[in-house]
Amino acid sequence: MSNQNTAAIPPQPRAKALRACLLCSIIQTPADFRKHGCPNCEELMQMKGYPDRIQACTTTHFDGVIAVIDPEQSWIARWQRTSKYVRGMYAVRVKGRVPEDVEAELESRGIKYRPRDQSEQD
Amino acid sequence: MGAERGKKRQKVCGYHRTKRPAVNRFLDVEAEVDEDEEDEEDEDEYARDEFVVGGEVEEDDLARRAADHARFDRRERELDDQDLAKIAEDVSQRYRRTAVRYSGDMSDIPQRLLMPSVHDANLWQVRVRPGKERDLVFSLMRKALDLEYSNRPLQILSAFQRDSLPGMIYVEARSAKQVSEACNGLVGIYPSRGIVLVPIEEMASLLQIKKQDLTVTPGSWVRIRRGKYQGDLAQVMDITENGEEVGLKFIPRIDLNPKDDGAIDAMGKKRKKGANGVSSFSMRPPQRFFNYEEAIKVYGRKAVSKRNQVYVFQNDTYKDGFIEKDFRLTALQLDNVNPTLDEITRFTRGQDGAENESNVDLSIIAEASRKAAISVLQPGDHVEVFEGEQAGVHGTVHSVEQDIVTIEPVGVDFDGQRIQIPARSVRKRFKPGDHVKVMTGQNADETGLVVSVVDNVVTFLSDMSMQEVSVFSKDLREAAEVGTGTNVVGNYELHDLVQLDLQTVGVIFKTERDSFRVLDQNGQVRLVQPHQISMRRDSNRAIATDSEGHELRVNDNVKEIDGEGRKGRVLHTHQSFFAFLHNRDYNENGGVFVTRARSLVSLAPKGNVMKLGAADLSKMNPALSGGAMGGMVGSGNIGRGPRDRLIGVTVTIVKGPQKGYVGTIKDTNGPIARVELVTNNKIISIDKSKLKRRNPNGTLEALESAMGPPRNSYNSNGPKTPNPYAGNRTPWGGAATRTPNPYDSSRTPAWNASARTPNPYDNGGKTPAWNASARTPNPYAAGSQTPAWNASARSPRNPYNAQGGTTPRPNSTWGGATPAWGASSPRRETTSGGWNSSGGWGDALSWGEPANAQTPGVAFTPGADGFAAQTPGAFEGPYETFRTPGAMFNPMASAPTPAPQTTGISHSNAGAYELSERWLLDSEIVDQVRGIAVKIQGSSSKWYNGQYEAKTGVVLSILNTHNEQFGTTATVKFDEPLDPSQSTLQVPVDVLMPVHPLKSKDEVMILYGAHKGQLATVGLIEPTGMMIVTTQSYLVEEIHADRLVVVRKDI
Repeated sequence: MSNQNTAAIPPQPRAKALRACLLCSIIQTPADFRKHGCPNCEELMQMKGYPDRIQACTTTHFDGVIAVIDPEQSWIARWQRTSKYVRGMYAVRVKGRVPEDVEAELESRGIKYRPRDQSEQD
Repeated sequence: MGAERGKKRQKVCGYHRTKRPAVNRFLDVEAEVDEDEEDEEDEDEYARDEFVVGGEVEEDDLARRAADHARFDRRERELDDQDLAKIAEDVSQRYRRTAVRYSGDMSDIPQRLLMPSVHDANLWQVRVRPGKERDLVFSLMRKALDLEYSNRPLQILSAFQRDSLPGMIYVEARSAKQVSEACNGLVGIYPSRGIVLVPIEEMASLLQIKKQDLTVTPGSWVRIRRGKYQGDLAQVMDITENGEEVGLKFIPRIDLNPKDDGAIDAMGKKRKKGANGVSSFSMRPPQRFFNYEEAIKVYGRKAVSKRNQVYVFQNDTYKDGFIEKDFRLTALQLDNVNPTLDEITRFTRGQDGAENESNVDLSIIAEASRKAAISVLQPGDHVEVFEGEQAGVHGTVHSVEQDIVTIEPVGVDFDGQRIQIPARSVRKRFKPGDHVKVMTGQNADETGLVVSVVDNVVTFLSDMSMQEVSVFSKDLREAAEVGTGTNVVGNYELHDLVQLDLQTVGVIFKTERDSFRVLDQNGQVRLVQPHQISMRRDSNRAIATDSEGHELRVNDNVKEIDGEGRKGRVLHTHQSFFAFLHNRDYNENGGVFVTRARSLVSLAPKGNVMKLGAADLSKMNPALSGGAMGGMVGSGNIGRGPRDRLIGVTVTIVKGPQKGYVGTIKDTNGPIARVELVTNNKIISIDKSKLKRRNPNGTLEALESAMGPPRNSYNSNGPKTPNPYAGNRTPWGGAATRTPNPYDSSRTPAWNASARTPNPYDNGGKTPAWNASARTPNPYAAGSQTPAWNASARSPRNPYNAQGGTTPRPNSTWGGATPAWGASSPRRETTSGGWNSSGGWGDALSWGEPANAQTPGVAFTPGADGFAAQTPGAFEGPYETFRTPGAMFNPMASAPTPAPQTTGISHSNAGAYELSERWLLDSEIVDQVRGIAVKIQGSSSKWYNGQYEAKTGVVLSILNTHNEQFGTTATVKFDEPLDPSQSTLQVPVDVLMPVHPLKSKDEVMILYGAHKGQLATVGLIEPTGMMIVTTQSYLVEEIHADRLVVVRKDI
C-alpha cells in the first residue's frame, strides 16, 4: 500500500468544479489538473498548465465517486481498470470521449480505447 | 548482471534526484525511488522500464531533458556491454512497452473476466445520511491517507457511492469489522443500521448502474430549470464538444420598467458574473421578443450594441428577437418538456407577430411530440406508419413493448401477420368523421367530430363550442361520449343566476371549456365569458307570486297556465316577475326556460294550504294584516304591517310529521307559520295550531297565549267593524303582551285600574262602567256616570274600546303585581264568565242577579281599592257582604280545576291562577320535588281510568322529558295505594295537584311569588285562607294556602 503514489485529493467534495479525467476517470479539482496534470495519463493528455486542454480532457459530467485506497488489491479498481493507477478519487462513470488526437494516439499505440461512459460492455 | 543493473539504477537515480528539485517539485520523485528500491528483486526489464517511464511521466521539458540525459548516459554505458542488435531490440521493446504501460494491459481484458471472485474482498453496504454520500467517501479517503503510517491503518480497499443510490455508500473490505473501524468517528454514517454484505453477483451491477441518458440534439426542446427563465421553453441550437453546455434560443424576459438606473447597473454587473436571474423571481418580466427600439428607449442607446445581425444587450446576444445564451446542461430540464402548441406557436411566430401566424411549422411540433407519442399508444389504438419501409401501413396496435409496437395491419397484403415497428414511426390514425375526445392538454375533455387530418394534427369540430380545434393526434382518443365532465367554470356553476349587466340577469344552462351559455330574462341566449359576469345572484330568499297569489319559491314545481303549459322546477326568480324554470325533458337550452311568475301555478299540494284566502288577503293587505296580528293597525303605520310578534318565537311542533321538532318562527301568514327548524336548518310552512311556544326552560305553552283574547275578539269584531276606535285597542293589546305574567294579565282591567288608581273619579266611573257595559240596558249605571261612559255604554260592542279610550293610564300600571291578588281572583273569575262569550253579551245579561246588587257594587269599588292598599279593615265588611251573595264567587273555590284554562281567554295558559298543570316542572320547583305532597286530580281520562283519583302521595322524583308529547312523569309514593305491594307509581305530572297546607307548623313550599320554590313553615292561619309562613331564611310572608304545597320529610 505504501508503495503507491497518491493523487491530490480534492478538499471540497461538494465543489461543483470537480472534474474527472476522460481517460482514467480520476477526479481532481481543475487547479490540481493545471498544476500537476493527470497523475495517470499526463503523458497522453498533456494537461498540465493548459486550461483549454483540461477543459477538453476532463469533464464535470461524472457519476459516482470511488475512493481507491488500495488499487492493487481492490476488485473495484480492477473492475474499473484503475488498479495500476495512483490512489485517489475516481469516478464510476464519466460522460464523454477523449479528444480525437488522444484517441488517435492511443490507436497508433495499439491501445484499445474504452470510453468510461459504460456505453460499451464486454 | 541483475546486481550490476541495480547499482546503475541507483546511480542514475541519484543523479536524477539532484537534478529534480531544481526543475520541479513532484512528489512522485520520492515514490519513484521507493518503488525502485523495493522492486530491486523484480525482474530487471520491468524494473528498468518502470524507472524510465517514471522519468517520462514528467511533462516539463526540462525534466524530460534531464531524463533524456540520464538515459543517454546509461545507454552509453550499456553500449559497452551489449551488442548493437541487442540494443536495437531493447530500444524497440522499451518504446513499445512504455506506451502499453500507460493504460496497462487491463484494457485488453474483457470486463466479464473481471467479475469478482471469492478471492476478492467483499463489498459492504453502509447506511449514511442522504446527501452526505460523496462527502463521506472523500472523508474515508482522507482518513485512510492520514492513518496510513499509523499503528492502525485502515484496512479497507476502497469505498464508493452512486448518485442513483441515495443514503448509502459501499465499502470494499475483507470483513465487516474493518468497515466499522473505518466508519468509526465519521459523522453521518449509521453503522448501527447495519453493515450489509453485498452478494458477489450484485457487486458488478452496482458499478454498472446507468442513468437514463438524456441526449440533446440541436433543435430539441428543453426547459430552463432555474433563474429568471425558470420553466421557459427553449430550443437547443448547438452543443459544446464535451456536451456540458448547450446554446439555447428562447424568448427573453427584459424588464422594460426597471426600478432605477443604479439597480440596473448593479444587476447588469451581476449578470456578467453569470448570476443571471438573481433579480427577484417574483417580479420577473413577461416573455417578450427583443425589440431594439424598446430597449434603447428604456436603457439608452449605449446599452445596446449591434454586431452584424445580432444585438448585444446586457452581455446577452439577441437575434431575431430571441435571446441566445449558453446554458450548462445541469441547468436544463431535458425530459418531460412537453411543449404546448401555444408555446411552439409563439416560437415559430417569432418577432414578426401575427404576420405568419397561419403557417405554423407543424413539423417542429411533430418532432417535439413524437417522443411523447410513444407513451400514449395503447393496444387497440388505430395507428398508421408514417416513416420507414412500412410507411403508409395502418392497423391496430396489438401490443407495446418499450419502443416497439406490434401492429396488426389492415389490408389485403397482410394476411393476419403482425409487424413490429418502432413506436416513433407510428402515430394514431383518425379519419374525418371519427368522434374523438381530447385526453390531455388545454383542450382536455373536449369532444368533437374530426373534420380533417393533416399528418399528426387533427382538426375536429367541438361538440360544445362548435368551433374547430386542432390538436395532436397523440392527445386524442376515439370516444362516444359527448360534452365535458365538468359543470363548473371559474366561480360559476351550471344553473347559477348571474348578473350580466345592470338590467340583465340570466341563468347558465350550459358550460363550455371557458365560457357559458346563458339564458337571460328576456329569453335570449348569450355566450358569456366568466369575466363578463359581474356577479352571481342568490335567489334562494326571493319570493314571487304565482297566478293564484301563492308564494313561488325556488325549487317549487310549477306549471304554466298559459302558452305551452310547460312544467318545470323553479331555478330562480327575478324581481318577483321572472321565473327561470328547468325541466330535463326539454332539449332546448339545456331544459332551462324563462317565464313570468304570474303565469305559473304550483303543482305541489302545499298550494292548497295556502289557499286559505282570508289569510292570504290579510297578508297582502297591510291594514288587515295588522288586525290579524294583534291589533296594531291604529299605530298609524300605513305601510307594511308591523312585524308579527310571533316572529322569532321559539316553538315546538306538536303535531304532524315534524312533531317534536324545535324551531323558530320566521314568518307568519294567517294561520300558517314558517318555522325554521333547529335540527336541519330548513324552513317549513306549518299551521300555527301545530305549534307550541317553547319557553327557555323547556316548558311549552300555547303559541298565542299572551295576546289570545284580544285577537280572538278582534278577529270576530274587527273585520266586521272597521271601527274608528281601532287605535284605542293598541294599548290594550300592547299591555297584554307586555305583561306575560299570567297573574297580571289574568286580572281584569277594571279591577286593576280601580285598584291602582286612587282617583275616585276613575274608580267610581270605571267599575260601574264595567257593570254598565255588562248591563247595557241598565239606565242607572249610565246615568250615574260621566257622559263618556254613557257613550260607551251605548256601544256595548266595544267595551274594550271605551274602557281603553278613557283610561289609557292603566296600561302602564298593569305591570306591577298587586298584593290584592286574592281578591282579584274572584273578580277575574267573575268577569271571565262574561268574557267567555265575547260574541254575545247575553251571558253577561244573565248576571241579572248580581245586577240587582248594584248598589253594593258601588260599595265594592272602594272595597277593592282599600284591599289593594292592604287595609282591609274598614271595607272588610262591605267587601264580604258583596262577596257573600255573589254566586259568581264559587269558581274561586274550584280555582284549581282546569276549567278556567278552557275559557279560551288569553290567560288560559297561565293556568288556574298560579297553578299550571305542570307546576311540578317549574324551574324553581323541579329541582326539589322530593317530598312534595300531591293528590291525583283529573286523572279519569288520562291515567288508570281515575282509579287513583283524589289519592294522595309524595313525589319522589321526576322524569322530565322536556316534551309535552312524551309524558313527563313523576314517581309518586302513595299513602294508600290500591295495590299495597306497589306503593310507588309513575304518574303523569299533569294529574298531580299540590296538597295545600291545612294547619300550622306544616312544612310547605311556596309555589308562587318572589319566594317561589322556597321551603317554609306555616305559622298563623287566617280565616280568609291566608297563611303567615316563615321561610327558611326567616322571611315572614303572608300568602294564601293555595299557593303553598305541603312538603313531607317523612319519606
